[in-house]
Amino acid sequence: MDPINVPITPRFFIHKNNMEKLFYPKSVAVIGTNNTKGTVPYDILFNILHSEFKGILFPVSPGEKSICSVRAYKYVVDIDQPVDLAILVFPSNVCHLAMEQCGQKGIKAVVIISAGFKEVGEKGREKELQLKQIAEKYDISFIGPNCLGIINTDPAVNLNASFARKMPEEGTIGFLSQSGALCTAVLDYARAKHIGFSKFISFGNKADISEIDLLYYLKDDEKTKVILMYLEEVSDGQALMRAARDIIAETGKPILILKSGRTDAGASAAASHTGSLAGSDEICTAAFKQAGIIRCNNIEEMFNIGIAFAYQPLPKSNRIAIITNAGGPGVLTTDAAIIEGLALASFSDETTQLFRKSLPATANIKNPVDVIGDARADRYNLAISGAISDPDVDGIFVILTPQSMTDIDTIAHEVVKVTDGYTKPVYTSFMGEADVSTGVNILQRNKIPHYILPESMCRSFARVYQFGAERHERNSLPKNFSDIDRHDAESIIAEALGQQKTFLTEDKAVRILGAYGLPVIQGLVATTPEQAVKYAGDIGFPVVMKVLSEEIAHKSDVKGVILNIKDKSEAEKAYLSILQNVSVLQAGAKIQGVYITKMADAGREVILGIKRDPSFGPVIMFGLGGIFVEIYKDISFTVAPVTESAAERMIHEIKAYSILKGARGMEKYDTESIRTCILRLSQLAVDFPQIKELDINPLIVFKEGNGCFAADAKIVIQ
Amino acid sequence: MEKTEIRSRIKQVIGQLLERDISEITDDSNFVFDLGASSMQSLQLIAAFEEEFDIELDQDKAMEVQSVSGAVDFISAYLK
Repeated sequence: MDPINVPITPRFFIHKNNMEKLFYPKSVAVIGTNNTKGTVPYDILFNILHSEFKGILFPVSPGEKSICSVRAYKYVVDIDQPVDLAILVFPSNVCHLAMEQCGQKGIKAVVIISAGFKEVGEKGREKELQLKQIAEKYDISFIGPNCLGIINTDPAVNLNASFARKMPEEGTIGFLSQSGALCTAVLDYARAKHIGFSKFISFGNKADISEIDLLYYLKDDEKTKVILMYLEEVSDGQALMRAARDIIAETGKPILILKSGRTDAGASAAASHTGSLAGSDEICTAAFKQAGIIRCNNIEEMFNIGIAFAYQPLPKSNRIAIITNAGGPGVLTTDAAIIEGLALASFSDETTQLFRKSLPATANIKNPVDVIGDARADRYNLAISGAISDPDVDGIFVILTPQSMTDIDTIAHEVVKVTDGYTKPVYTSFMGEADVSTGVNILQRNKIPHYILPESMCRSFARVYQFGAERHERNSLPKNFSDIDRHDAESIIAEALGQQKTFLTEDKAVRILGAYGLPVIQGLVATTPEQAVKYAGDIGFPVVMKVLSEEIAHKSDVKGVILNIKDKSEAEKAYLSILQNVSVLQAGAKIQGVYITKMADAGREVILGIKRDPSFGPVIMFGLGGIFVEIYKDISFTVAPVTESAAERMIHEIKAYSILKGARGMEKYDTESIRTCILRLSQLAVDFPQIKELDINPLIVFKEGNGCFAADAKIVIQ
Repeated sequence: MEKTEIRSRIKQVIGQLLERDISEITDDSNFVFDLGASSMQSLQLIAAFEEEFDIELDQDKAMEVQSVSGAVDFISAYLK
């Protein structure tokens, strides 16, 4: 079974067929262009010409005879040769007419640069829908509207169909962006650092071709080695996760995403702990991690990690060697490396002997290797050559501080030369700015990753290493339990929905959990004091009593829970107190009765929950439970279906894992039973999209080998 | 009351209730992550502090106190 069983985008196969014409067109028509320099319609045409496009260009402009000395056509249908790609730059109110003509002309790929659609309101949304309908009628695939355009640096085509100022360098990074304006800033940033791109795509409103279609295109694009994306909204989280998994599993291409919109106002309105704690951004972070996507915090970090992937091989291990000409930066780098989970390699005897023999007596020949401030290119050469040949070293960090005798440019050339031919990654940090700039330029031109700060270098290496190490871990499958009673759970939910109920009382929630094999203690519902006393006696003291009401989500808030009731007399009093408390604190609430269960033995309290995210679907939450849920917010999330390894990771991820595993002389708790509960809950979440939110709080976990059980549960349905 | 005395008495209460040796309890010890307190024990701790110092604590705010040093500051404010 596919872990994420979702369909690909509806027009996926049509887009797949049209992508070649979009990115490798033999002819391009710019529809709506004009002769006014400094406008988007003019610049688009100018940029295509200026980038030395290898195909034929057709300006289409009802009012011009020629533009940039190229013959212009009144309408696209007037062109007497085939057209592969059309770029639409007309105002939004006439784009549909041009689109219709594209269809009549048989054009299958269109980029709509024009703005004034969904982003401006309902009328714009209607216009966008109209474009989509025309595209569907003619099997056209289009990018945009409201975008910067597309760039393909492949010398076979040389296409800059955008209003970016300059064509970027050729490279192996495929860049996708929902924001057009950000693209121009990214291109400028990248140009200064000689970062090249294979494809550069601004997809704007993604009315037709989405980021998912483009990700699959870049998966198969031989020129693309790394995929970077700026995203403002995840329209289909499950499809994104599936695409990422497919790309990583099939090609090993890493996907780095900068996702904006980290705040979430909606979460506070949720009825359950899981609902309130699982904000959309937290879920997004968890889902990206689960799918192997590297989430970046800013553009700089995205490119720091991106160039590491693009320029250098994946490290085989986290054992690195640091070569520096200054002690302080060496220590800084060591600290940063350790913090990021890297290890300083121990040099072999051969390497140690080489360094002892060849480096000055004052040099530090152990890792980090300090070649001393007066080191010139020959000493750097020796140290790098020695370290890179050492079998115990799987990555090299070269640090340089600009001292008066440091021949910076020669050392940069030496780094390029000495590392050529090795399959071990080499990263550099020439610290400073003005003095090291020409050296840095040499490194950047020769595709040696360079970082102003060693901390950024260590972080980038760590992300790359982590990606390589975890790449195959994501291939495990979710467990499916056969000992479940789906029918029973289904009947409870159907009955409640039939009665327009959205909140299930604990007795029903417990039955659903029990049907899916989660450990529960079935209780009894008393509706009179006499029944309460009898049932408590039947269950066996001590017992717990809780108010049962479809109108009360938080029982403790209305003093509707009494624990540790020891005898019949206390049972009667407890029953009456609960009714009295509720009548005062939530007057008018309809009470179905009082739910009585056996009082559990003491154990460690954790929380398990489900939340349905509009984009990613069912999400499972696990964390420290009881009264600590909101205090510590010590929780982890995974999008269902949860695999066995993901369930294990969820348990390990929370801070309280140290308690569960028995730290500081405490006994170990039964984490195996928690893992099983997570997997069973995941199956329940996948089977019932009607479950909007679910809390098991607390799930009481006993010492190792003694299991766990759900002491309280609530379910919100939709 | 001096903070030193408050700290010492708080540690005594914690040690007794959570069955931990006083030497294991440092100023930075977190009730849950370091000393393993459960929900019930946390509530009992608040009650025990109230009894020990003869004060009445704000339950919600008291629950937010997570460490020995936090408890010392919190209770000191009540004793002023």
